[in-house]
Amino acid sequence: MGWNKKWAMSAFVAVLTLTLVGCGANNNAGSGSAGGETIKFASDASYAPMEYMDTDKIMGFDIDFINAVMEEAGMEHTVTNTGWDTMLTSVQQGTDYQAGISSVSITEERKETYDYSIPYFESTNMIMVKEGSDITSALDLKDKVVAVQGATTADDLMSGIMGIDNTNLRRFDSNAMALMELNAGGADAVVADIAIVNEYIKNNPNEKLTGIIDKENFGSEYYGILYPKGSELKAKLDPAIKTIIENGKYTEIYKKWFGEEPDTAVLLSAE
Amino acid sequence: MDFRFDIIAHYLPVFLRGTLFTIGVSIVSILIGSVLGLGIGFGKMAPKAIFRWPFHTYINFFRGTPLYVQILIVHFGVIPAFYGTTNVLLTSFVALSLNSAAYSAEIFRAGIQSIDPGQREAALSLGMTKWQAMRFIILPQAIKRMVPAFGNEFIVLVKDSSLLALVAAPEIMFWSNTMKGQYLRIWEPYLTAALIYFILTYSLSKLLNYIERKV
Repeated sequence: MGWNKKWAMSAFVAVLTLTLVGCGANNNAGSGSAGGETIKFASDASYAPMEYMDTDKIMGFDIDFINAVMEEAGMEHTVTNTGWDTMLTSVQQGTDYQAGISSVSITEERKETYDYSIPYFESTNMIMVKEGSDITSALDLKDKVVAVQGATTADDLMSGIMGIDNTNLRRFDSNAMALMELNAGGADAVVADIAIVNEYIKNNPNEKLTGIIDKENFGSEYYGILYPKGSELKAKLDPAIKTIIENGKYTEIYKKWFGEEPDTAVLLSAE
Repeated sequence: MDFRFDIIAHYLPVFLRGTLFTIGVSIVSILIGSVLGLGIGFGKMAPKAIFRWPFHTYINFFRGTPLYVQILIVHFGVIPAFYGTTNVLLTSFVALSLNSAAYSAEIFRAGIQSIDPGQREAALSLGMTKWQAMRFIILPQAIKRMVPAFGNEFIVLVKDSSLLALVAAPEIMFWSNTMKGQYLRIWEPYLTAALIYFILTYSLSKLLNYIERKV
């Protein structure tokens, strides 16, 4: 019995050691492989159709876009679904992941902490309400209960309109939960990116939902690739982004996901 | 690493409001939870197996599933079913109370069963009814033994209430997430939240030590 226990313990320790050594070896292979560096992108893949998981495979507009950019730049890369918080911290440090691609809007406040690529996507926020609602613009939301995904630009915009400490502005962990809150009657409206809202309305025709665009209060915003401060990647990838926008590759990807032509002129002049 | 105290200072007032919410929800839930728990604990000690069964199932369900899932089920399922719409305050009280009741029930049961059966027999042989024996002989001794366990349960509940941020209850983690959203910074909001929880639970455990020495 005593011998068995000792043996089991040694086996356990051995497995643990091997695992740790294995992890270490993998990390080394990841960052220093021969034939050029592999750039590791982090993403929060819970934002269909921009980036989402189809079982264990990461998909979406952003993924196709970054594949095209990296091909143009002639570099190897991987995209890993790390979740939002891990993406933010690890990209800030720049060691485990050298960049983030996750529909991250470019804002002045965020530029204090990160560098961004040139804009690669134009978006706006959209209000979603149930049919028959008396809400027609963003300002109507002032004294209503509004659900958003926390830490998004929808959160920023509504914090500006309703006050950041207003508890009627309900911040959820994901857009999916904000949408459930609207359906269950706990909120009068959801504010989210136009692509998300349109996707949701399209997928749930029975729930009688309407999307409201308010160009006056919700201006255009632009997504950028997230880099650590002072990253050398920006100089390498910005020309590649520009090239694929100009040579039609970008338009092709855009049409595949959204079924319409993008306004690339706006994108190129937005930087 | 740069650490921005200015944004913490900016958020301090709302963090204080969040702290009050956390304390309020925890106190109400531990109170409702212990009342429910007392009933469920007695139910689990019922002499007939058929009566024990529902209480047994209740305890197993709430101890055997994560509070994370329970909060989601209560918020998006149970509350809309009974109340018509979701309501975050109701969710907070209901989810935490139901969860706490399961643990309280076990604390009550263990406390009562830890009293030597001889005590009960002696009380009965003195002519007390079963109820009197429980009320005057067993419970006073048992409750004394339950105090540390209840203290632990309360501390766990304060920390677990952070999961309510999941459904946007305006407690400490909710404001921490809000702060993260505004600045896209991790350390300041999370360390502030951690510090507040630590202060809460540390002072609570000091208070409980004091109470334990008194009873």
